[in-house]
Amino acid sequence: MLRLQDISLKLGRFRLRRVNLNVRAGEYRVLLGPTGTGKTVLIETIAGLHRPDDGRIFLDGRDVTTVAPEARHLGVVYQDYALFPHLNVFNNIAFGLRLQGDHGRRLRDAVHEISAFLDVGHILDRTPTHLSGGERQRVALARVLVLKPLMLLLDEPLSAVDRLTRDRLQKELKRIHNELGLTILHITHDLNEAFLLADRLTMMKDGAVLQEGTPEEISKHPASRFVAQLLGIENFLPARVEEGKRLFLEGLGAVDPHILSPWPSGHGKIFITIPGWAVEFPDGGETGQYWWRGTMKIVTVVRTSTSVEVRLGSEKNTSLRTAFSRREAAQLPFELVPGNSIEVGLPKKGIHWVARDETA
Amino acid sequence: MKSFRILFTGISLLFIVLVTVPLINMILTADPQILRSTLGDREVTGSILLTLRAAFWATLVCAVFGIPLAYVLARWDFPAKSLVQGLVDLPVMIPHTAMGIALLMVYGKKFFLGRWFGELGIGFVGTEVGISLAMAYVSLPFLVNAARDGILAVDPKLERVARTLGASPWQTFFRVTIPLSWRPILSGAIMMWARGISEFGAVVILTYHPMVAPILVWERFEAYGLKYAKPVAVLLIILCLIIFASLRWLAGRNQEL
Repeated sequence: MLRLQDISLKLGRFRLRRVNLNVRAGEYRVLLGPTGTGKTVLIETIAGLHRPDDGRIFLDGRDVTTVAPEARHLGVVYQDYALFPHLNVFNNIAFGLRLQGDHGRRLRDAVHEISAFLDVGHILDRTPTHLSGGERQRVALARVLVLKPLMLLLDEPLSAVDRLTRDRLQKELKRIHNELGLTILHITHDLNEAFLLADRLTMMKDGAVLQEGTPEEISKHPASRFVAQLLGIENFLPARVEEGKRLFLEGLGAVDPHILSPWPSGHGKIFITIPGWAVEFPDGGETGQYWWRGTMKIVTVVRTSTSVEVRLGSEKNTSLRTAFSRREAAQLPFELVPGNSIEVGLPKKGIHWVARDETA
Repeated sequence: MKSFRILFTGISLLFIVLVTVPLINMILTADPQILRSTLGDREVTGSILLTLRAAFWATLVCAVFGIPLAYVLARWDFPAKSLVQGLVDLPVMIPHTAMGIALLMVYGKKFFLGRWFGELGIGFVGTEVGISLAMAYVSLPFLVNAARDGILAVDPKLERVARTLGASPWQTFFRVTIPLSWRPILSGAIMMWARGISEFGAVVILTYHPMVAPILVWERFEAYGLKYAKPVAVLLIILCLIIFASLRWLAGRNQEL
């Protein structure tokens, strides 16, 4: 459906570096990256609003690199929805239809049909200033969907609304994707949003693609420490791989190499990645082989969870972090008190690795 | 806090009084009898109408050229942008008599531009077209700067969205940019028009006859003295205030969308 081939662009302080992307028809693709990574520039480049310095853009196999935005038939929804303030909801939705020459009954029917689909039929004569965040987004979606675009490009469409509205709109986007079978490229910096919606994920940083795959693939094998951090993995234990398939955790000693799969052959220094939820804490029973004693530090206490770090050695990097919900904390056989000495262990599942020499 | 408010209110009031006292004084001390007879003076009414008309044409023609220029200044980045912006502002700084002489040099018969237009039957010296030209040169910045600020205030994202919804650059300009910036543009046009009406320096060099109202006031003052100049001036002021206030009201109406 959409293929980007080595797209490079310098635009003010933003930069795209040889971006390659292949979105299949009917796919819900989420582009995940921190803010200021040039994700919006990428979407606008796909939409034809910026001409890339280098590279090609294909839509349905057709090279559209130099095609004007109005001839690409892509639906763009911005973070702030960019509704026309001088037009009411009806005329916002009808904007593109009128440009196509639709009028009269045909126009009205098309607007009413999409308004019913997105539940905005009751606000058609309101102006955008009198709409809530959720209503604005549904109107912005109606305005592009009524034109039956080739695909949807969504630029952080959920980050400007409150949490309740966001939950509802996520479901709405999923429904639109399912019911219309639309191809969607959705950019966000929100991990949960990405995992909830994506068929496939593309991880971006500083205008470059770091990794692409299904959420499961990327979770299992993040390509770099940065990707792992984007995925919310808290723990990176520095480790050394030596000949004869031997694995040493720095400051903690040798461990069974079978905890890693696939084996990081060809790498010397790596990070062992452990998601916070996987770290083993005493549950009253026996502790196993890879357990170490450390000093507890309370990192943060937010409403329903307490984030804890256990320092394992004198070195700064050898610590394990996790967060306990209030319910979990109540059932622990030890107290969450700073300075407490407890044992923590390597989990049997969820351990992966990333290379340590990388710069990304 | 309280002293701050008192001081600033006081300064503002003082300023308003200083600005309005001469105008109010002039209107209040005008002899209604003479004012009425001045209204019947064909030379005066003809001159006022000429002034309004010439300034109107100057504004209209400049809108055609000035709005695209304002758009370019608001939206595009190019190497000599600040230079172009400076050129637009130049008429504000140059003494208008000097501007008039510069115009005379170019649009007179001695320069090719003046000759070209002359061959087309358009003369600038001693004609209504010349008046409009002089007014246009000195008052253009009011329109261009207001239009530029108006267009700058339109979120470029709205224009981009319009493009992705199928609008060509022209359609985007007329369906999004202009509908969202017409108010400041109109306000700039009113300012330009008003500035054109009050122009003396540049017009007097290019075209003394037919006489625009400010020149007529000057001429009556020179030839017959204050007593005869005053009613014309009063008439001009009242007329300008009425037109200006009503256009301002029109432009400001329905401000809230």
